[in-house]
Amino acid sequence: MTLAIEARDVVKTYGVGDAATQVLRGVDFRVKKGEFVFLAGPSGSGKTTLLSILGCVLTPTSGDVSLLGTRVSGRKESELPGLRVAYLGFIFQGHNLIASLTAAQNIALQLELRGHSPREAMKEAESLLDRVGLGDRTHHKPGELSGGQRQRVSVARALAGGPPIILADEPTASLDAQAGLLVTEMLREMAKERGHSVVVVTHDNRIYHLADRVVQIEDGTITGESS
Amino acid sequence: MTTGVFASDAGDARAAVSPPPAAAPLPSRASLAVRWRAMARTGLRMMLHDKLKMLGTLIGVVFAVILANQQLGTFMGLLQKNVLFLRNSGADVWIAPPGTTQFQSGKPISDVALMRARVMPDVEWAEPLLLGSVTVATPVGGAEPVTLIGVRLPIKGGGPWNMVAGTPEVLARPDTMIFEDADREKLGGLNLGSVREVAGHKVTVGGFTYGLIPFAPSFAFASYDLARELLKTPRDRMNFVMVKAKPGTDPVVLARALQENLGDEVKVMAKDDYAKTVYGYLLRATPLGITFGTSTLFGLIVGFVIVSLSMFSAVVDNLREFGTLKALGTTTADLAKLLFVQSVAYALVGSTIGLALVSNLANAIRSPRLALVLLPQTFGATFFVMTALCVIASSLALLRLHRLEPAMVFR
Repeated sequence: MTLAIEARDVVKTYGVGDAATQVLRGVDFRVKKGEFVFLAGPSGSGKTTLLSILGCVLTPTSGDVSLLGTRVSGRKESELPGLRVAYLGFIFQGHNLIASLTAAQNIALQLELRGHSPREAMKEAESLLDRVGLGDRTHHKPGELSGGQRQRVSVARALAGGPPIILADEPTASLDAQAGLLVTEMLREMAKERGHSVVVVTHDNRIYHLADRVVQIEDGTITGESS
Repeated sequence: MTTGVFASDAGDARAAVSPPPAAAPLPSRASLAVRWRAMARTGLRMMLHDKLKMLGTLIGVVFAVILANQQLGTFMGLLQKNVLFLRNSGADVWIAPPGTTQFQSGKPISDVALMRARVMPDVEWAEPLLLGSVTVATPVGGAEPVTLIGVRLPIKGGGPWNMVAGTPEVLARPDTMIFEDADREKLGGLNLGSVREVAGHKVTVGGFTYGLIPFAPSFAFASYDLARELLKTPRDRMNFVMVKAKPGTDPVVLARALQENLGDEVKVMAKDDYAKTVYGYLLRATPLGITFGTSTLFGLIVGFVIVSLSMFSAVVDNLREFGTLKALGTTTADLAKLLFVQSVAYALVGSTIGLALVSNLANAIRSPRLALVLLPQTFGATFFVMTALCVIASSLALLRLHRLEPAMVFR
């Protein structure tokens, strides 16, 4: 079976010489197609660095990373934006919506970057907002939405256009327990429904029960996993 | 692990979403046209969102447009004043003393030039012109200079024109002159029929022109004979010969023929060439060009700095958003498109506002002494220059975006 994500012996070192800090120390990490995986660990364990490398926004010092069988590590920097558009959807800790765009426009922009026409993109964006329960907030800007609503828009944006892999960086960190649970449940449900593979970085153990698998990372090394 | 159930409040809409195939990578990135459109719209929305910053940037552009055009317009006005007489005399070709570079009296030329010009086949008429500076004694004991023009009667060329009182024919009356209306107070409260001493000779005011003030004392018109007396010019001498070409004759060709016929004792120029000679002199031999050019450039530089800093500041304030755009798959080239559209929008809106304001300013301050001339070409050039300036000004912001790591969104 083709893996959605395969990272082998990934090392990431910041700085050089005596100031060098090894953040990832030979990480092996795999995610199957359609799997909903949590990457958990304490602060500074390297989970966000690993997510950045999987998200093609950071290059590893050494090691191999493949997405759906396509090697993405070692690529030229100019190729990375194309890989992100083709393979990845992102959910950020702080939602990272564009403040000047409405909820629908935020999603439509991602769709347009994936080749949709503006009309198709807006239609699809409105459908996605309906799906995440924000059908009546399509023309609201992020500043006019609650934290939970913003994160739901962020989820819809990540799913827009159907990227095979979704990477979420602590999506519940800025939400209260109920809103966090709601957003994660929604993400899982939609991902399963649409066949996305999802990696969620979190240290929020209140939502661990939603994962197919929880992979533990500590001090730059995978220390175990549970399912 | 359990599967959570998300309680959507828009359940019916679920059917409208057709799940795309998520198992394979998406086929390709958007076409260049789609990316341009997406970045243009996003750029404009970002621009409109931060209204204070947009206002600050627009003020920079407007300021640059007003300052640059005010200086340029004043300069153009001064240039036009220097060729005011040439443009309105009715002559197509001018016979002037050799070495003439301005419309000023030099060493008088012989009337032989006039006689020979009159018999040239393509000449409609040729008339002498006297030009010189004289003073007008004012009733309070002062003296004010005027630029005296002496024209042969009946008048064929050389003015006066733009008359607001009297007619040119009054010059046929003995010792009668026509003065500039805008200088009436300066010349001691002139009225029709007023008597003044000009170059020691009593003359009567027979009419007024309006707006005939060159970059020198205002024009005052007299008959040729009166002017010769006031300027003490010998009977066989004159300052210029004005030549009217017959219909269908190219003035440049006629000027060349006259020059060949009259030799090096005179300089013969078609009207437009004479005007160019005057412009060239003013630009090269006087500080006018440097002075106004520097002021214009200063306006543009100030505008450039304001636009540059505003756009840079807008980028720095929204680094996280730009980082997010990069993470979502936009490239630095895409963000350059976004900044380009913002720059062009700032330039177009700022130039339109600036030009409207400077046009109103020009109308408000226009007087016979100061004319702010805004040519249609200036309007076009303003849009072009400001667009270029804003696009270049955005490069500082682009440089920051180029260095922006998309990984910053995970920090």
